[in-house]
Amino acid sequence: MSFSDLKHALRKYDFPVCAKEALTKIEQLLVGRAAPTNKQLDIAMDIISEFVFCETDRRGNRRGLNPLQELQLIDVICHYISACNNDTTKNTIFLSLFGSMESQRKLKILSILASMAVSASSTPVLLAVGVWLQQMGSSSPQSLQLVENVIRDHFYLNTSNQTALKVLAKTAPQFVSNFITAVTELYMHDIQGVKKMPPKNLLEIITSWVYSNPTLCMSAQLNPASLPNGSIPMGAVTPLAGLIHWCALAPLYIDEGTELEELPIKRIKLEDEKFPIIKSVTSRSLTEAELYVKLHLGVLNSLRAGRRTHGPPTAVNAQHLAALTPLVQNYAHQLLKCGIKLQNDTKLQDCLDRIGQSVQVALANGCVYGNISNLLAALDTLPENRLLRIIIKCHQQSI
Amino acid sequence: MNTQAKSTALSVDLNSFIYGVSRRNFQNAPDLTKIGITLLKNFPAARDAVLEYFAMVFHDAVNVSINQADYEPDSSNNGSLESVSMIGPELCSLGESWAPFIAPWCINLIMDIATEKANLPNTTLQNTEAVRVLLDITTQNLTLLKAEERAKCIDMMLGCRACSWAVGWVGRAEPALVAPRALTLSADAARAVLAHLANHPPALFHVRAALVDLFQEAIREDSKVESKRDVIPYLLTLASKSDIVLKALTQDIERTLTDDVMDRLCAVCSTHRHSGPWDGVGPDSLVALLLRSDVHCFLLLLKHAQKNLFCRQLLEYLLQKLEYESLFPDSNLTLVMSAAEEISIIREKLLVGNQLEQYSIARILIIVSYNLPSEFVSTISFLLQYSRSDTTLALLVRIISGTINLHTPADCPDVNMDTERYQGFIKTGVEYALRDAMMADTQVNKCFVKDESFDFKTNLYHYCANIVKLLRWENSNKVSHLRTRPIGCAVEANLYRIGGALQDYASILRVRNACTLASLDEMPTCHALAEVLDRADMSGTRSPPPSVEVILKVVQATVKYFFRCLHEEEIMAKLRGVQTACRLLRKLCLNSKLARAVALRDLLETAMFREDKIFGSKPVVTNTIAAPQKWSHDELLIHMNQKHGPITQLTQSHTSVFHAGIIGKGVRKQGSLDENDIPPILTTNNELLMGALMSCMDGNSGVVEGATAVSLLLVELVSPDVMYNGLPWPDEDFTKQVSIERELYMRCAVERCGVSRAALRRIARARPSLCLASALLRATAASLLHRLRAHLDRHKQSAEMASEMIALTELLSVMTLGQLLPHPLSHILELSPELTANEIVQVLRDCIWNYTRDHVPSPALFSCDSTGLHWRDPSTCKPVATYTDTLRIIIQKRISKLGHMYPIMFLNLEKYNV
Repeated sequence: MSFSDLKHALRKYDFPVCAKEALTKIEQLLVGRAAPTNKQLDIAMDIISEFVFCETDRRGNRRGLNPLQELQLIDVICHYISACNNDTTKNTIFLSLFGSMESQRKLKILSILASMAVSASSTPVLLAVGVWLQQMGSSSPQSLQLVENVIRDHFYLNTSNQTALKVLAKTAPQFVSNFITAVTELYMHDIQGVKKMPPKNLLEIITSWVYSNPTLCMSAQLNPASLPNGSIPMGAVTPLAGLIHWCALAPLYIDEGTELEELPIKRIKLEDEKFPIIKSVTSRSLTEAELYVKLHLGVLNSLRAGRRTHGPPTAVNAQHLAALTPLVQNYAHQLLKCGIKLQNDTKLQDCLDRIGQSVQVALANGCVYGNISNLLAALDTLPENRLLRIIIKCHQQSI
Repeated sequence: MNTQAKSTALSVDLNSFIYGVSRRNFQNAPDLTKIGITLLKNFPAARDAVLEYFAMVFHDAVNVSINQADYEPDSSNNGSLESVSMIGPELCSLGESWAPFIAPWCINLIMDIATEKANLPNTTLQNTEAVRVLLDITTQNLTLLKAEERAKCIDMMLGCRACSWAVGWVGRAEPALVAPRALTLSADAARAVLAHLANHPPALFHVRAALVDLFQEAIREDSKVESKRDVIPYLLTLASKSDIVLKALTQDIERTLTDDVMDRLCAVCSTHRHSGPWDGVGPDSLVALLLRSDVHCFLLLLKHAQKNLFCRQLLEYLLQKLEYESLFPDSNLTLVMSAAEEISIIREKLLVGNQLEQYSIARILIIVSYNLPSEFVSTISFLLQYSRSDTTLALLVRIISGTINLHTPADCPDVNMDTERYQGFIKTGVEYALRDAMMADTQVNKCFVKDESFDFKTNLYHYCANIVKLLRWENSNKVSHLRTRPIGCAVEANLYRIGGALQDYASILRVRNACTLASLDEMPTCHALAEVLDRADMSGTRSPPPSVEVILKVVQATVKYFFRCLHEEEIMAKLRGVQTACRLLRKLCLNSKLARAVALRDLLETAMFREDKIFGSKPVVTNTIAAPQKWSHDELLIHMNQKHGPITQLTQSHTSVFHAGIIGKGVRKQGSLDENDIPPILTTNNELLMGALMSCMDGNSGVVEGATAVSLLLVELVSPDVMYNGLPWPDEDFTKQVSIERELYMRCAVERCGVSRAALRRIARARPSLCLASALLRATAASLLHRLRAHLDRHKQSAEMASEMIALTELLSVMTLGQLLPHPLSHILELSPELTANEIVQVLRDCIWNYTRDHVPSPALFSCDSTGLHWRDPSTCKPVATYTDTLRIIIQKRISKLGHMYPIMFLNLEKYNV
């Protein structure tokens, strides 16, 4: 079937149906025994552009989808992905739909798709998104944007789906792992005094994920994605280094004072609004500081699970860990400026203790790759801490 | 599995939503809306689509609502409307994290709807259910936004011309944010926004704050030239288009435009006055603004008009404009209304202001009075009470004539159609002023509490002084404004009240509470009131004659006042007061017999019974008033009389009285000066009273009529009973037997009362009035006859004798004066001092008593001559010899002593007989 025939056939259909048909045609074009030719790829891209995303009409003019149509499209894609039995096929189609990320509109649709998959706990789609995250690089701008959208939808706008979210670690661990990696990039920054901290419900979910699934962090590496023929698989980055960052910096960044008070949402009273007479008594949830402690334990357990029986270590990048030191030093400098002795500051000591514990567990389980001596040298510049000192001394001797 | 079920449910929802929406039919809108809301909650990423669908629903609902008014009254079951009512609460309660999505969506939707329906009136649109819900959602979500996001949203709305009403509405939640932003728009757009904003009272404060801030910013010394140049014309243009802005700007204008601010403002004005933006705000538009502003602005303008030429011109322009505008029947100028509301401030200013202020305020008061008659009345009342200078009184005259003639052409005759109506107002004003002044007098005054002793006058006094001054101007005929006698007429219409006031103040029993002006000496006030009455015209020539009640009231008041004047210490004040009273009485009695009767009775009664002390009168029966003494048994008259022998045994005899003394007083004391001396007639007070009596009897036949009335009154007042008061004199014996006690009482009463004696004398002159007092004369004559007979032997030169002689002389002189004793008998007066008691008894009995008994003293004896004078012709009434023989014999017997009288009395008589 020639390209123009293909187009003619597709043009018989109206929008949602044509997208559905187009997807089948693309599958026929791209999935085969051998890698598709460049021409086939071009045709596929053309069809995607015109019939799936409706970016152009038949004369090449620009047009777009309104939000409702977007929703229809997403429904179509979702159905297709869910119905697809072959992982490779699924990933191939998914990556060709969303792989080229020059278009902000496509990213938006992808975000909605991802968010919907989370809402509906749609495992096939989530896994596809996980592959996409990995292929794009978890800390790439597009990934971060996607993750931010998902966080906004599910941790800010819709806050009633926590149990459903917890299950995701079991059903789509690859997605969750890549998701956490991206999330760790987003938070725990101190930009000119304004601390960007993860929202508490996000922290809770991540803690629960990591704490109850020690293998979760490694899952993206342990289950390599089935990619289309001829494509280059990208190495998955585990979220462990980022989480070590979080746990270590948390004592420094959390203000205990402000944490407990939850500001009631201010609102204008509506006319016939009924307030519940009995306030539901909730069991006391953990404070953020306690959550970080729990998360820290979860991370340490994950590190122990990250030991590879064969092959080089892949779990934690030494350089990534070493990046902690300037942040801690910065804090220490501020303390000194205020005239506080470093040994007496429990926050700082807490932070150093956690760094020490993480490094020790990581090194002992052989999870660290990269320049370990550089890491130790960097750690050596940190303020005085007994545990850290012992660990550095011990490992420097062993190298 | 749970998640599986949920996932399925979600995709079912999603499918039905997508399918339903793509049908573009709003019949199933409620179901789809429900799904949409579920989606929104469980699948936040679909929000764009859901919200877009909601927007479609809203559009449809607006259309339905607008069209429904025309033909379909009952469409409550319309799908879109139902959906809207579902969406509203949902979107309102989504919470803080949703606000950044919901708020812009709402605002865009409002802008879309407003732009689409721009040709509809705003109110129609605003009243549709959908728009209301939408506005609620917007407001709710705006409050949840962070400050900078909120500002962005509001800016977004302000950018849309068609939805200024929506800004105004939504802005109510955030007036502090909206108001200053609105002011950056063009005047028209800002007006629309502010108008809607100001429907919400709390927002008004922020609107005002924003305006004032903008203004203060503009005139700051370090502000930019453009803002200095543009802001003030902008504000003025805005104010000219929007009442709200004007009100906000002019509220507390004194605090906004302090002197300091004014200086800077002047500097700004002088720099930029000729620049482009200022073209639109010339004096014309300023005056138009001032017409719509409140009176505080006017006062401020007035204040600055003192120094600032431009303000002065503006003021003049404004006043002219006001005068012109009020030509139109339904002119409803805010400034005038506001002036009416704050009229007390303005009036106060009228009293204390400088010349320019006074004149300007008078002009504005004229306009207020012209529009609101009640204010006209109260202004008159106020000025009459509180004016203390000629200037303010002149302003009152100006206001009165100005109000009446505001729109009367100069060449129009004096009397225009409304004169009567206005006269009524002036009358009411005078009345209210009187009432209020009297009430104010009874209120506690702080100057008394502080105990500052100044020369205070009562309010009523000032009121009277003002009226008097006005009346004087009126009567001078030099003031053209007062040619129609407005005040005079008003006073005349209020005579009853003024009379009542005089009566109150002249009353001795007046309530005088401490620390009120009423506790002051009331005489100055009384004098002033009397002067007002004095100046009022009661003749009925220039105004309708006063009614009977009025006359009675004024007469009574005047009499009261007269007697209060007699008590005055200071002789000039006393005389002046009495003069005034007399003048008043004369004026009143001249035209009214009733007034005369009342006045005479009041005067006499009061003088004889209530005020007898000042006339030197003694109580008629002394022993009833004097405290009973403790007499020893021997001193009691009853026991002493028993010692006199058989005469005193006769119980009915009068000797118990005649011989030994007076019961209750013991034996008469020889030669001692009795405290019961006969009071003199010729005292100042007596004369003044007589003057007053006489002034009641002015006019042609007034004197005789008046004197007749007085004599009747005297009889009535003196005589103890109604019998035996007739003119005829009975037989002498009759008196002895029947009426001697009565006669004694009457004589005593007359004798001890200087007033009645003086009055008798006056009456005697006005012949024939004395006839009617015959009973009194008879009483004196009878008692003289009996007493002198009793005196015959014993007390020749006693004090009693002397007093009897005086009484005789008086009786004779009065009767002679009244022509009751014709020619020869009239000379008994001259003879009497030389006669012995015995002779006197003879003369009294034979000549006087018998003559009078036979010639009844009646007015019939007197003939009226051509000049209206009543008199008895001596030639026709010569007494026959029977009555004169006794006299003749006595003279002949004592020719040596009395001879000189004989020719006078009898020879001429003979000659006539020839």
